[in-house]
Amino acid sequence: MRSIRILLLLVFIVLGGSGAFAAPIDDLVAAAKKENGFEFYAPSTLTPLGAQALNAAFNRKYGLNVKLQYNPSGNMTRDIGKIVGLSASGTPPEWDLMVVTDAHHATLWLRKLHQTFDYKSIGVDPKAIQYDNGTVNFANQFVLPAYNKQLVNAKDAPKSWDDLLNPKWKGKLGVSTATHHLGRLAAGAWGEEKTTQFVQALTKQELMLGRLGEIYQRLLLGEIVVAVSLSDSELKAEANRKAPVVFAEAVSPLIAPAYHAGVPKNAAHPKTGHLFAAYLTTQEAQKIWEKYAGQSSALIPGTSAYKYVQGKKVVYMSQDQADTVDRLSREYGKILGLSGL
Amino acid sequence: MSTATDAAAARPAVDVRVSGTGFFAGGLAALLLVMIGAPLAMVVLMSLRTGFPGEGGPLTLVNFAAVYSNPGTYKVLANTMLFATGTVLVTLVFAVPLVWLLMRTDLPLKGTIYVLMTVGILIPVFLRTIAWILLLSPRIGLVNQWARQLFGLEQPLLSLYNIPGMAFIQGVSFVPSAFFMLAAAYRTMDPALEEAAYTSGVSKLQTFLRINVPITLPAIAGVMVYLFMTAIAVFEVPAIIGFPARILVLSALIFTSTNPPTGLPNYGQAGAYGAIMLAAGLILAYFYTRLVRHGKKYTVITGRGYRPREIALGSWKWPALAFVFVYLAMEVFIPFLVLLWASLLPHLQLPSAEAVAQMTFDNYTHMFDHVGALPFINTAILMFVVPTATMVLSVLVSWVVVRTNVSFRGALDTLAFVPHAIPGILLAVGLAYLGLAYRSYFPVYGTILIIAIAHTINWIAYGTRTTNGVMIQVHRELEEAGKVSGASTPTVLGRIVLPLIAAGIFNSWIWISMLSYREVTMALALGTRKNLVISTIVWQFWGNGWVPQVAALGVILVAFAVVVVGGLKLGFSRLGEWHS
Repeated sequence: MRSIRILLLLVFIVLGGSGAFAAPIDDLVAAAKKENGFEFYAPSTLTPLGAQALNAAFNRKYGLNVKLQYNPSGNMTRDIGKIVGLSASGTPPEWDLMVVTDAHHATLWLRKLHQTFDYKSIGVDPKAIQYDNGTVNFANQFVLPAYNKQLVNAKDAPKSWDDLLNPKWKGKLGVSTATHHLGRLAAGAWGEEKTTQFVQALTKQELMLGRLGEIYQRLLLGEIVVAVSLSDSELKAEANRKAPVVFAEAVSPLIAPAYHAGVPKNAAHPKTGHLFAAYLTTQEAQKIWEKYAGQSSALIPGTSAYKYVQGKKVVYMSQDQADTVDRLSREYGKILGLSGL
Repeated sequence: MSTATDAAAARPAVDVRVSGTGFFAGGLAALLLVMIGAPLAMVVLMSLRTGFPGEGGPLTLVNFAAVYSNPGTYKVLANTMLFATGTVLVTLVFAVPLVWLLMRTDLPLKGTIYVLMTVGILIPVFLRTIAWILLLSPRIGLVNQWARQLFGLEQPLLSLYNIPGMAFIQGVSFVPSAFFMLAAAYRTMDPALEEAAYTSGVSKLQTFLRINVPITLPAIAGVMVYLFMTAIAVFEVPAIIGFPARILVLSALIFTSTNPPTGLPNYGQAGAYGAIMLAAGLILAYFYTRLVRHGKKYTVITGRGYRPREIALGSWKWPALAFVFVYLAMEVFIPFLVLLWASLLPHLQLPSAEAVAQMTFDNYTHMFDHVGALPFINTAILMFVVPTATMVLSVLVSWVVVRTNVSFRGALDTLAFVPHAIPGILLAVGLAYLGLAYRSYFPVYGTILIIAIAHTINWIAYGTRTTNGVMIQVHRELEEAGKVSGASTPTVLGRIVLPLIAAGIFNSWIWISMLSYREVTMALALGTRKNLVISTIVWQFWGNGWVPQVAALGVILVAFAVVVVGGLKLGFSRLGEWHS
């Protein structure tokens, strides 16, 4: 009996070593080779050079020659809306793989608009797999109030979220269309009632409104001196690293949106999309992503993000909060005057 | 005998030709009706439906109920009216004196001023608005900073973030359009009344205010209505200046309904808002048509070949030049300098020694890393296809309207003018809905063709106004001579009429090409990754916070457009000399 077990173990090792059990990844690589290219939607802070670096490393790793077509995000909310709209009319999505925040992927998940895949079967850590096999979590942004250090002394900078309601900031604050930042506080650390009161109080501060990039520019120029919430994507982008905009680090909790990679339903090149989503969790891809876009995963020990969150109270979003964040993002957009009437 | 036989033989041929013309005109009218009617029908349909394009569902009035029961809608309408009125006033304050100075007086440097005004048109409004923020923002605007230093003011002297500020920026950007629309009326104005005024000892300023302005009032009123219609549809200034300060106008509301900053698109509400805009546009179009007809009754423009005498400005020459310079500074010099400055910095900052030390050409050398070639190719396609399609359609429409006796030629002319009553944003949203909901019949969603179609429809009103004007000036005798010589109607049109009106067509072609190059609202509403054009890239860069890159792109574009347009103009003027 024992000899049979040893024999079986040897067979397993031999077959495993020869690749007979690596079929899922091999199949995926072979399918990606056939697809020969894909449309990659990702944050603009990655930059075309970052996308090229990822493309080259991806091809090297899997022996491919696929062409990654980088589509920098102009407005994640608008583009997710576009996917939903296209799907309703039966039109395939424009992109094969979308890297957007977990809150944006929530909109797709709630409408079952992900092309799911068993990412675990190709070695992706189950903790990173979200939205019922719809997405892979591979990096974290960090969100805090941010200020222009040329206009505000560090000692005068906001020390808490509630500090933003201080009348001294009236007419000097900006808030972005990324209202999911506030929706996360509501779904997690603060609860809906407190967050809604906070948002309503914010409206009395004569806020300047705009998209994240616009708010960052206005902060840089000094049109506003504090942004209610800004992500480190703006602060860490290569072109902005010498700019005088910094986080109000004393503020807690720290909001940590996750970047998820997911393939929209009916994508033209889903296999390459799935393979690339898995690739983004590799150490090699993490380094490239961090070099260009500035983020890494807070879930992977040893990464910059992991080190940064140690000792901090952090707000992560979970799948069961998707509905609440989706609903409150819209509601806060209305309260702040960001969504028309 | 032979003459009678010939005449008898000719009669059926004439009948065939007439019915052929009628058939052709009918086909043309049907084409225009489909081009213009289909997106409009989509706007009406989307206003009566909920959900996304293609989802179907019953017709409902809930969108109208939601829109019209919201008090905010009426505030937006009031904002839109104030913004549009202010814009028109600002435009006229600059355009009327400018056109008088350049058309009626001996102002020096006219050629240079013309060139600079053309350059002004080439700087996209969107980029100019960013320049104005750097000048007039309450906190950081250079003008306000200087005012604080000079006068010790605690509050900013000026602010852009209000309706007058928005109207000022938009109004200044409309000046070249108004100038070119008014130029013909002032150029050919009979100088007898002016001379009588001068003989009576009335000053030049008084003569301008009491003779020139009243005489051209119908033309000015026509331009006012035209600009008003355009102002209620524009999007860039309301988006960059109005939205951050929560000042919403109708165009911004339609855009945010289909491209929401939070949540999902609401096409139904966009349609319901669009209905107000469409109604306003059609009413204004009616008044515009009436004003233009009314203006013709009081015309003092003399026949062709008339050359009015220029008025000597004398010592007023320098104040007049100063006025022109102030305008050009606002329209061209300052925006371009701000763009140049921003393009040379790693990140946007106000002028300082530290900023000068950081200057770099990186934004230029890495431009193609950020953009790629596709937006340039798509823009080049638009710049060629849109004016060509518009002018071909315009010539054909004008030929039917001006040169034939087809019974419905008046209706065809009106139909060709209708697009001016349809705001571009609405046209684009209607086409997007059409492309998404009926993609098997209209498979152009996401292609550059859908933007080209939107632009062509949008400018066909302008094209036909131009071609009507130039075609009227060509005497029928020439065509009749051609026909007597046995040439067919297409041959007469192609070999006699077209060469004679070529100069007018070419000027309009260039103008439409420039409008297509800088148009952003429709391109954004119809934009996908495959049909990116330069104007949408500029918008995307701004949203991403890549202002120095936007500025570098702006500088490159202005330089490119100046070279191309200058080259075309020069080439054509030489061609014209050769022909003559």
